Amino acid sequence: MIDLILQFVACARAADLRISTAEVLDCLAQIPLVDLLDERQVNAVMRANFAKSRREQHRFDHLYHLFFHELQVDEDVADAGSLAIHSDAIRDSLKAVEGSHPELAAISDFIAGDPSAYLQLLREIQTDGDSRRQGPGSNLGALVRRFPVLRALDRAAELVDRFLAGHRDEIHWETRQQVQRHLKRRMAVARNLLTREEVPDTPLIRKQPTGDERKKGIGDLAFNALSPSEVIRLRETIASLVRKLKDTADLRYAARSRGILDAKKTLRRAARYQGVPVEIVFRKKPPRKARLVVLCDISGSVWSSARFMLNMLYSLQECFDRVRSFVFVAEVAEVTRFFENHTVDRAIEKVLTEAGIDYSASTDYGLMLRQFRRLHMDAVNKKTTVIVIGDGRSNYANPEVRIVEEIRSRCRRLIWLNPETEQFWYTGDSEMRTYQSICNEVRPCGNLNQLSAFIKDLML
Amino acid sequence: MSFSSVADTRTALETAGYICTREIATVVFLAACTQKPVLVEGPAGVGKTELAKAVSHSLNRQMIRLQCYEGLDEAKALYEWEYAKQLLYTQIVKDKISEVVSGAANLPDAVDCIAGQEDAFFSERFMLPRPLLKAIRSDAPVVLLVDEVDKSDPEFEAFLLEVLSDHQVTIPELGTLKAVHIPFVVLTSNSYRDMSDALKRRCLHLYIDYPDVQTELAIVRKKVPGIADGLARQMVDAMARIRRMDLKKIPSISETLDWAHALIALQVETLSPQAVADTLNVICKHREDARQVRDQARQVVNFS
Repeated sequence: MIDLILQFVACARAADLRISTAEVLDCLAQIPLVDLLDERQVNAVMRANFAKSRREQHRFDHLYHLFFHELQVDEDVADAGSLAIHSDAIRDSLKAVEGSHPELAAISDFIAGDPSAYLQLLREIQTDGDSRRQGPGSNLGALVRRFPVLRALDRAAELVDRFLAGHRDEIHWETRQQVQRHLKRRMAVARNLLTREEVPDTPLIRKQPTGDERKKGIGDLAFNALSPSEVIRLRETIASLVRKLKDTADLRYAARSRGILDAKKTLRRAARYQGVPVEIVFRKKPPRKARLVVLCDISGSVWSSARFMLNMLYSLQECFDRVRSFVFVAEVAEVTRFFENHTVDRAIEKVLTEAGIDYSASTDYGLMLRQFRRLHMDAVNKKTTVIVIGDGRSNYANPEVRIVEEIRSRCRRLIWLNPETEQFWYTGDSEMRTYQSICNEVRPCGNLNQLSAFIKDLML
Repeated sequence: MSFSSVADTRTALETAGYICTREIATVVFLAACTQKPVLVEGPAGVGKTELAKAVSHSLNRQMIRLQCYEGLDEAKALYEWEYAKQLLYTQIVKDKISEVVSGAANLPDAVDCIAGQEDAFFSERFMLPRPLLKAIRSDAPVVLLVDEVDKSDPEFEAFLLEVLSDHQVTIPELGTLKAVHIPFVVLTSNSYRDMSDALKRRCLHLYIDYPDVQTELAIVRKKVPGIADGLARQMVDAMARIRRMDLKKIPSISETLDWAHALIALQVETLSPQAVADTLNVICKHREDARQVRDQARQVVNFS
């Protein structure tokens, strides 16, 4: 039993489940306390010790099924001992044939009953495939990585057949058939594992925290290359990110808010202890919160980034003093009221339909700036941080640099976010070079990692 | 009293009014045997707190509850010096103090004399024990419920570790206080944030999900004895359908029970779309959710 559990733990670790030695010891101490013949009890013990969050439970169940159901030798095999001997022999011969291929070695271990190397291989495919995407919206990366394994599987099957044919005389035919059947089944399991799609995390609890690894994958995707399902995942990630940011901000404020001694309250409290100031009360400093003005280009490509940014900013609204948002293509319109009256998602939908902007107009930063100066300049004062999010492509119209300069001189900070990849910034009709020299800060903002880094800097 | 086997645990919990799955019973049994804390996670209202109550009831132990919130600190969770009492005592025994000091020739001697008596003022007598200290210093074994531990600050979590793994508390003035009896500890969390690995490592983990139809039916029958059999079944089925909808707040067992009480109060005998619409406020706690359920009331009760 101990060996079996240790083997399972090795597999689980290979499949990226984090299990500490202490947990293994606990589990081994607890196993004798339950009825070993009742599988559900044993499962419960292992689950309680090895899978310590909702996320991990799914992976655990998956592995548990694989290890204790799919990989175990069937009872109907009469001579399990000889089966093991033969599969070990086959493994050794497979390894001898093709020592250089890691895939084949992993597969031969797998069919001999030790799945950890194979599982590790699969995990690498999963994570690697995602990070090495071939282009926007493509999943070829994972496919390409799977291919050698598939080929190795075929090769292994072939080698097994050849081995059995070669040793025809040494092995009794009945055993041989059993071995063959057994290995076939193992191969099928291996193939199945490879081609099966990863089971998505439970949709039941949407409040569920997202793991760092999952974020890593989605954090690097460009906003304009997202599929609808990825958009939903991104929203969840943003929600958890926002929560984390809020926690950090609250902590910071709590630590920072201690001000000078509040004499009045201290004396009042001291009265409880016969005038001895036992409890000393400090004044709380109101945290200095940023006041934001956001200018969003909502033409085509930029909008996909802008809406995620608005989503985040408004989710964090209580961390800022006031957020005023404006959208523009050529004309500019204030959309703050949508966000005040509706939930963030609804508001973003509404911005597109009801803001009263001509979407078919060609982008004109100059016109936008002139209008903004005429109508909304009062929004900008010494306390405000102005954030412009746009690609700076003004269709060769007057960039109105002077107005940008005027805005900068009036506000605390002027930050320009550009969702375009940096290498295209200064090409064509882009005015980035002109604007860049004026802004306090210019940052690329094409994916979630860049966006969240920016928001973090902004808040703290 | 203690549990002797998993099956025994299950019956004991059932007697205490808590219907549970075998997994829950196994984990509770193990926790009782190995004296490890249990970290219970799950959505709100599935009976996490209730589990602790049932355990305390079935083990016949007192339950001490510590409700966590943001900003909870040691003074609220562990102990606090009772300054007022200390001051009062100092006033009363003033004469005695001057007697003690009277022999001293100079100020340093006097201070030494007083220092010799320090223990008199920093002793357990002047300590106000808070839930954690109470739980480990209690004469009889207790059940300690640390509710919504995910709401507490990370610092508090770190300091909880000492209590959970070594069953001891360090108080600077008194030294380390060991547990008299090791309490049965239940921590509950709504996964508002992930707990640290160090805390998880010390606990048995238990995830309680929304119950399946059979379990929920049993719970309703147990908790609402007066309910008609047909109505209970209809209700539970309807609830299962509601949970499959895309709602902001998925109703849990506590809502089911509230609903059952509401339906009985309204003397509803069979569930109709009208009855669902009337009692919607019990199930749905968001306006949009309520609208969605009202729109689909006919499907919810399987009324075609």
